[in-house]
Amino acid sequence: MKRRINVKYLSRVEGEGALIIEIRNNEVEKVDLRIFEAPRFFEPILRGRPFQDVIDFTARICGICPVAYQMSAVHAIEAAMGVSVPQPVQDLRRLMYCGEWIESHALHVHFLHGPDFFGMESAWSDRDYGHIAQRGMKLKGLGNKILALLGGRPVHPLSVRPGGFFRWPEKKELYQLLPDLEKGFDLSLECISWAVSLFEGEEEIKDTGGFMVSLHNPDIYAMNTGTVCTSDGITYSMGEFTKVIEEYQVPHSNALHTGIKTGSTPQPFMVGPLSRINMSFTSLPEKVKSTVLQGGISLPLVDIRMSIIARCIEISYAFHEAINIIQGYDGTAPHVHVEPKEGKGLWITEAPRGMLIHSYEFDRKGNVVTARIIPPTSQNLAHIEKSLRNYIESNHHLTTKALRSGCENIIRSYDPCISCSVHLIDLTEGKS
Amino acid sequence: MKKPRLGIFKLTSCDGCQLSILNLEEELLRVVELFSLSFFPMASDKELGGYFDLALIEGSISESRQREQVISVRERSRYLITIGACATSGGLQALKNWAVLESFKKSVYPDPALIESLSTSTPVSDHVYVDFEIWGCPVTGDALSETLACFLLDKRPTIPQYSLCMECKRKAIPCILVSEGEPCLGPITRAGCGALCPSFSRACYGCFGPRDDANIDSLMRWFEKSGYSGRERQRLLDTMNTYAYRRVQIEKKD
Ligand code: SF4
Repeated sequence: MKRRINVKYLSRVEGEGALIIEIRNNEVEKVDLRIFEAPRFFEPILRGRPFQDVIDFTARICGICPVAYQMSAVHAIEAAMGVSVPQPVQDLRRLMYCGEWIESHALHVHFLHGPDFFGMESAWSDRDYGHIAQRGMKLKGLGNKILALLGGRPVHPLSVRPGGFFRWPEKKELYQLLPDLEKGFDLSLECISWAVSLFEGEEEIKDTGGFMVSLHNPDIYAMNTGTVCTSDGITYSMGEFTKVIEEYQVPHSNALHTGIKTGSTPQPFMVGPLSRINMSFTSLPEKVKSTVLQGGISLPLVDIRMSIIARCIEISYAFHEAINIIQGYDGTAPHVHVEPKEGKGLWITEAPRGMLIHSYEFDRKGNVVTARIIPPTSQNLAHIEKSLRNYIESNHHLTTKALRSGCENIIRSYDPCISCSVHLIDLTEGKS
Repeated sequence: MKKPRLGIFKLTSCDGCQLSILNLEEELLRVVELFSLSFFPMASDKELGGYFDLALIEGSISESRQREQVISVRERSRYLITIGACATSGGLQALKNWAVLESFKKSVYPDPALIESLSTSTPVSDHVYVDFEIWGCPVTGDALSETLACFLLDKRPTIPQYSLCMECKRKAIPCILVSEGEPCLGPITRAGCGALCPSFSRACYGCFGPRDDANIDSLMRWFEKSGYSGRERQRLLDTMNTYAYRRVQIEKKD
């Protein structure tokens, strides 16, 4: 008997994709996550452009995580120019990232993924969900507020430059955010309990989350700095990691797939909030940890759908961290002058969706010679397909309709950002 | 009264302008009540064919399937409004238009013959009639809510057509072009962002595209006098509204 799942247009994800699954006699024959989003050729566009453009242009790869692009870019540029920035600049960058994590996660949890757990088509299709949607709006709004203050606007902020910021905020401006952020923190603890409760009495889908990779930092929950760690305990420097991964093309996707080179076939891996939480749970604030554990779940989280819990935990962490940074801010974050010169730089930061790799080569005027960007979603694609395969293999007794929504839930758990993942591929040449 | 049917469509883009709709927050929930949101795949599974009273389009046309898509949306929509630099002027991805042309050593003028091809990224208005355009990369929440409100009241949105310099003056931001000698695109760029970059002591880089009647050449002569090379001057215009700036520059020459 042959069954087919065909999702022509994946909704509630960022970008354009489709899903085709074929099952014959309970064996999965085909799992194709089709990416048909039109490529935007950022790599050739960047060639010959001055380094500031790298920050403003790569932001336009993704409207939901522009700060992630700006963070990986600015660090890679500074690495190439041999510049390091003072602590206050690093702190403000981290604060900006907190804003983006809150904004992006709150959107995903409440509007894109949440409806799956209630069988709804959108966050406003059922009045009973109204208060949850409103909570999402409130949290998201607070993330946006941090971004607007530091960067002028939440989508494509304009303050980041190599060496620091075009303008740093006054102490007073930041302090004014504190009461709202405290409220946001309390609300986010509620979110964690809510997300945990979604799994009460639910059977865990095992094996859907597998080989996890994230940045790790012994002192602090990793955002802008750290080493790359895998769930089987291997540690790489950022540079080493880019050498052990391989990007390869599959016929059904406009985006490259990525795996870690092991033996003859590259091994799929997973990046993102679930990987980060499992890797760095112990470095979270006590209050956040206890709220999670009170809900009765245990770590590591292995059911990929529990990414929704991981996102709520990170929203909480981001509020907590934002408050700390603001309280420690003394009112200045001077910019360091960066002299354009020849060089190569590579950096990885933790975008809301996982590790975002940027690597550049500049000529002596500081203009781009080559650019390579590997977004989290391209790193995840192969793993998403693996998760889907595992899920269907252990759930083939379900109706096709149930399987279909199960699969959509799994895909959304990864928060795929399809516009990010296709930015580099030149279809006419068939390679990046 | 029957609620007007609203459709939100995406072509080649970063989703930032659609996100600006979601960023309307409280207002968004009101929009959802006043309109019947019939198509918004970024936020909803619901897909309905048929007619739209208002279609908002994000993204440029860079593939032939999108041409067909936009023609079909036009045929089924009473009003069609483009949101953002991608839909209104081809976006950052339109830079590939010139790369192709230059590598063929052709002139830098937009070549209508190439518009059909996959090698260009073009605004929606190159393909179908557009009732109204909202500029910006991204669009602002204010412009979006003004447009939606005006649609309901059957009025034309009042969105400023003057230059960014006016906004700086109004906010009493010292001119960074004159005082700092920074290559600011303010004089030729449409207002609307609230003079964000100048308020961060940064030169405007043209997210909102050329204002009507912009005198680009005169600003470029100023930059030339300040020591910017031809290549540097061109790069200043070649960002997310490259197609629109180049077009205004050419039209002025005629
Ligand atoms: S105009 Fe800018 S913000 Fe809007 S979709 Fe295009 S790139 Fe994104």
